[in-house]
Amino acid sequence: MSELMTGAAGAGLLTPLRREHWAMAWISTVDHKRIGILYMVTALFFFVVGGIEAMLIRLQLAVPRNGFLSPDTYNQVFTMHGTTMIFLVAMPALFGLANYLVPLQIGARDMAFPRLNAFSFWLVPFGGLLLHFSLLAGGAPAVGWFSYAPLSETPYSPQPGVDYWALALLVLGIGSVGTSINLIATVLTQRAKSMTLRRLPLFSWMVFVNSFLVILALPVLNAALVMLLIDRLLNAHFFLPPGGGSAILWQHIFWAFGHPEVYIVAIPAFGILSEVIPVFSRKPIFGYEFVAGSTVAIAFLSVLVWAHHMFTIGLGHTVDLFFVASSMLIAIPTGVKVLAWSATMVGGRIRLDTPMLFCIAALVQFLLAGLTGVSLASAALDWQTKNSYYLVAHFHFVFVGLIVFAILGALHYWFPKMSGRMLSERLGKWTFWLMTIGFNLTFIIQHFLGLAGMPRRVYTYADLPGWGWMNMVSTLGAFVMAAASLLFVWNLVASLLHGKPAGDNPWNAWTLEWATTSPPPVDNFSRLPPIRSRRPLWDDANPDRPDPAVGTKGKADNFVPEKNKTAVLAFIISETAFFGVLVLAYLFSNATPQPGPGVRDLSMAKTGLFSLCLFASSFTLWRSECSLLKGSHRAMRGWLAATILLGGIFLGGQGLEYWTLFKGGVSVGSNLFTTAFFTLTGFHGLHVCAGLIALLVVLGLALTDDLTRRPSPALKAVGLYWHFVDLVWVVVFSTVYLLPHLQ
Amino acid sequence: MTTGHFVVSGWAWNGASTTICAVAAALYVAVFGVGPRFGYFAAALAVAVLTLVSPINALADGYLFSAHMLQHILLLLVVPALLILGLPRSLSLEVRPRVLGHPLVGWIAGVGSMWFWHVPVLCNAAVASRPVHALQTVSLVVLGIVFWRQILAPREQERLAPPGAILYLFSACVACGVLGIIITFSPVTVCSIYAGQPADGFGLLQTIRSGWGLTPERDQQIGGLLMWVPMCLIYLGAIVAQIARWYAEPVVPATGQM
Amino acid sequence: MSPVFGTVLQVFHPNSPQARAIFDLGVEASVVFAAIFAIVAGIIVYALMRFRWCEGEADPHQFAGSRAAEITWTAIPCVIVVALFALTARTMNVSDPAPAPEPDLIVIGHQWWWEVRYPKSGVVTANEIHIPVGRALSVRLESTDVLHEFWVPQLARKMSAVPGHPNHIWIEADKPGTYLGVCSEFCGTEHAWMHFIVIAESQPDLEAWQRAQLRPAARPAGADARRGLAFFEQTSCVTCHSIKGIDDGARVAPDLTHFASRLQLGAGIAENTPGNLRRWLADPQQIKPGAKMPDFNLTDGQLTQLVDYFETLK
Repeated sequence: MSELMTGAAGAGLLTPLRREHWAMAWISTVDHKRIGILYMVTALFFFVVGGIEAMLIRLQLAVPRNGFLSPDTYNQVFTMHGTTMIFLVAMPALFGLANYLVPLQIGARDMAFPRLNAFSFWLVPFGGLLLHFSLLAGGAPAVGWFSYAPLSETPYSPQPGVDYWALALLVLGIGSVGTSINLIATVLTQRAKSMTLRRLPLFSWMVFVNSFLVILALPVLNAALVMLLIDRLLNAHFFLPPGGGSAILWQHIFWAFGHPEVYIVAIPAFGILSEVIPVFSRKPIFGYEFVAGSTVAIAFLSVLVWAHHMFTIGLGHTVDLFFVASSMLIAIPTGVKVLAWSATMVGGRIRLDTPMLFCIAALVQFLLAGLTGVSLASAALDWQTKNSYYLVAHFHFVFVGLIVFAILGALHYWFPKMSGRMLSERLGKWTFWLMTIGFNLTFIIQHFLGLAGMPRRVYTYADLPGWGWMNMVSTLGAFVMAAASLLFVWNLVASLLHGKPAGDNPWNAWTLEWATTSPPPVDNFSRLPPIRSRRPLWDDANPDRPDPAVGTKGKADNFVPEKNKTAVLAFIISETAFFGVLVLAYLFSNATPQPGPGVRDLSMAKTGLFSLCLFASSFTLWRSECSLLKGSHRAMRGWLAATILLGGIFLGGQGLEYWTLFKGGVSVGSNLFTTAFFTLTGFHGLHVCAGLIALLVVLGLALTDDLTRRPSPALKAVGLYWHFVDLVWVVVFSTVYLLPHLQ
Repeated sequence: MTTGHFVVSGWAWNGASTTICAVAAALYVAVFGVGPRFGYFAAALAVAVLTLVSPINALADGYLFSAHMLQHILLLLVVPALLILGLPRSLSLEVRPRVLGHPLVGWIAGVGSMWFWHVPVLCNAAVASRPVHALQTVSLVVLGIVFWRQILAPREQERLAPPGAILYLFSACVACGVLGIIITFSPVTVCSIYAGQPADGFGLLQTIRSGWGLTPERDQQIGGLLMWVPMCLIYLGAIVAQIARWYAEPVVPATGQM
Repeated sequence: MSPVFGTVLQVFHPNSPQARAIFDLGVEASVVFAAIFAIVAGIIVYALMRFRWCEGEADPHQFAGSRAAEITWTAIPCVIVVALFALTARTMNVSDPAPAPEPDLIVIGHQWWWEVRYPKSGVVTANEIHIPVGRALSVRLESTDVLHEFWVPQLARKMSAVPGHPNHIWIEADKPGTYLGVCSEFCGTEHAWMHFIVIAESQPDLEAWQRAQLRPAARPAGADARRGLAFFEQTSCVTCHSIKGIDDGARVAPDLTHFASRLQLGAGIAENTPGNLRRWLADPQQIKPGAKMPDFNLTDGQLTQLVDYFETLK
């Protein structure tokens, strides 16, 4: 252990910033580079955990009617395997990479919000702990990583495993949204002066676009999770048909998150391929604009395709066909990328170092995954292949074949930058070949298992012709992958200790992270090279044939918004998605009349009165902002206090309404109306609470003159959030109280 | 009446729409002459004719909610875009007061008009009453122009920069998509006048229900889906055009100072 | 002896017009995909062979893109997508036509067995479906608890059984035979053993089966069997299982009226032999852990009597 520390210290990783213990330095760090490494180490840890779960699955499935794992244990293992790999491995690894690289690639000192960055990271181990705590508290969830209702509801999953799962994902989702808000703010506000948006390296551009997808999709998951928790813990029936709920509703909401989610993990992998392949082909990416543009098209289309996961639920051919169309369309921008990477290699001078090997394998494997994906987009074909091992093969080709391979390529590529040492090329090539052979052995045959009729998520199977030996081959492949993984970990450790010193730019690459030492100093750059094109270091090294300069004459190129306002706006976008789902759920739950409490039990007059107070508080807040601008600080404080008072009155009114309902025997679980009503207004109330706390903090700062000693964006930023919360109430009030009168 | 017969005979050439289009064409030529952008303007008029004169209009008049939705999309998204594109590049679309030129106003105009005209009582009124229908048609085109001005105004300075334009279009698509979702999956009828018995002037109801297999439920589903996938594809097309525009800015020689 | 299913890649051995339509589309699509894979992989392999770096070589010409190439490889996929879409729409219509106004068969998914009811004739059974060769039956799919999914790869598309939302599927076979069906939506502990069998037979054979199934359970002759029946009637068996003519009511567990006529027990976990039946009754949890049938701690004598009785339920 101490040898590891010495080695790592020699690599510059453990140099404390001040005279403090190395462990404290890492736990309390807000440096994006260290946080990035923490993310990646956490991801590696959970990769081993998820990998062990995978081995258990494959061992159980190696022979027919195997008794190695009981059915319940197996079901817990595969649920944990999927959940762990997506939320505790893929996302942290990619966010970690983004955390490390984006500030460097854009020539910044750090992320826009270093402390938010650290907070977002620590939510990952906490979420992982919460998820795994279920093992001690009655058993892990055994409902599959997407936890379909009604199986995940209390009558069919009475143990608290599902509750821990939901809470863990909520925590992790909040962390992801925090990171993405940070990335958006960083890319928009922290770029070096001449690093315009159009000159961004593709990895940073793709992470930037991806971040918008994250802030839209994760809140949708959060809404689904809170609705599930309300069902389970407060006796509600959002997703329970006997109570008027709908199992299909869960699928809609989950997949509205779930499909963008797979792009959220795929797009950064695309970014990795877009960095590594050009460098090792010694040519720029073929068609930068098209690769950058197709990323936007993919992000856009990914929110339009979700019901291709629901082709067998009975939505009707009409609805199905629209999703067939959108799902097939998304193949086109994806194909543009695949061809761009391939064309980059043509005419180049390809160097087959380990990073390139992994990325080429990722490219070919993703090509296959994309094609099986198009076959699944065809509803008719999906009707045979969905929920079979064909589907399992498809998504493992995406998650492992593309994403894990891209991450391995990225680690081999950027490890020298992060540690100052090269990974062993010999071990790297061994890892590559073992991993590629193992992966393909494991998963190619699963396509055929699916076509043979083997459904997914089965703890065992009958001794049908072919099923036995095909499963055995798949299991053997898994062992080879396990060996490759162990070899990789050994490579990491050994290279940290004894690796060759890397120098600033061992790969002769062209983006800004290579223009500083390995590892970079705390402030990232001592000096920046001139940035006139997308490859500043190429221009430096090749003054005779620099890249054509990319202009700065556009309006957007020099647009640098204020970072706090940017962050709050991004946060508002995420909240819009969250409330959007709750409003839709409310509409859906109340579309048909139902017995029990209804809108008539609410008092529109009283609530209208309290609503006026809330709307008035937006006015007073605006006055406060104006006063601050004018410099009349007493007026500012007065208006701010009025805002807080009015907000408090609103909350009081809401509490009064709740109390009246409870007194009348109405509870959250009375019927779908009450559930949806309490959920929607309750979460809005929570947001008002949070807003009031934030306003109180600002008032406190104002009272101590902290706010006014120097220009502070705090009031404006919190103000934006407050106005948004008011706007949400306009929508909620209209939907709940006014809409029934319009019909 | 059979489908084929309807496609041929369902054109309402003698309505106000034809006259207005003709007058508009004449005005354009009088003011701007037949310039390089006349093609766009002509296309706008062609689509307007398709929407308001062709059998689509007859179908939207009480028969099919999905036909009405198609009209909506064409009038709000296609005709105004082509109209603006048809204006000479030097024309300024500056408005007074200045606040009306804010992107948020354009966004609310485009998204709000869709939501507004699908409030059930208003949706029904637009079919039942001629004046309300005319108001709807005109409002869609006008609000569509306000929406598209932010993206397609002839002068560079009056347009949003591409990144902002992309956010504008993306969020508009999401906002309309949500309405599309509500309409597609709603168990209640949004525009009840289409589910009832229309004044079957063309004798087409039987063909629609049996020949085309369009029950009121399926008709509403298609209407909602149209507002969702195809409409968003129009937004996607605009986004792709913005990306192309952004990355196609003239290249500056390497020796130039940036 | 396990029913011999013979084939290995079931999806590639369609035995109905519906499944064949899907298979045909699969073949057409595979040809397209194989071509695309070959072309793109070919480009990559070509590049790897032709454009390798050699020691000391300078960087090549920095070719940054070609708009013509981009337009071509966007337009061609667009055409392919439109074609695939059209083919898909057509196949969806052929493989999944609209339901009949009244279903011929109602299949209800339970955790972890399939209830099978023929509304027109009144036949009720479990985990086994008999259909006539060459005639499609309109099936309504329901569920009493969680999501299940009905999948007979050789005969039809898969379709979910959704509680609260009945779905429909047509089932047809053009050759007599025994076809394996599985549940393909994860539905809890014993999802893996929620199999069912579809037996396609000639119309006379089907009618004979139907007649047999409609007869109420015969009163047994042998002493042990009669004691078995008495035991069945007096214990809580009747709370879940019904036997027509003895106690018709419960639908929580499979109907046992003609239990002995079925090929498998436990929804496919074992062949329906007296030995297996005895092991099942002795401790169902040993065979199918998690199944809703508890262990009744039956004595050897009770087991013999029950097995004897159930074997009379042909």
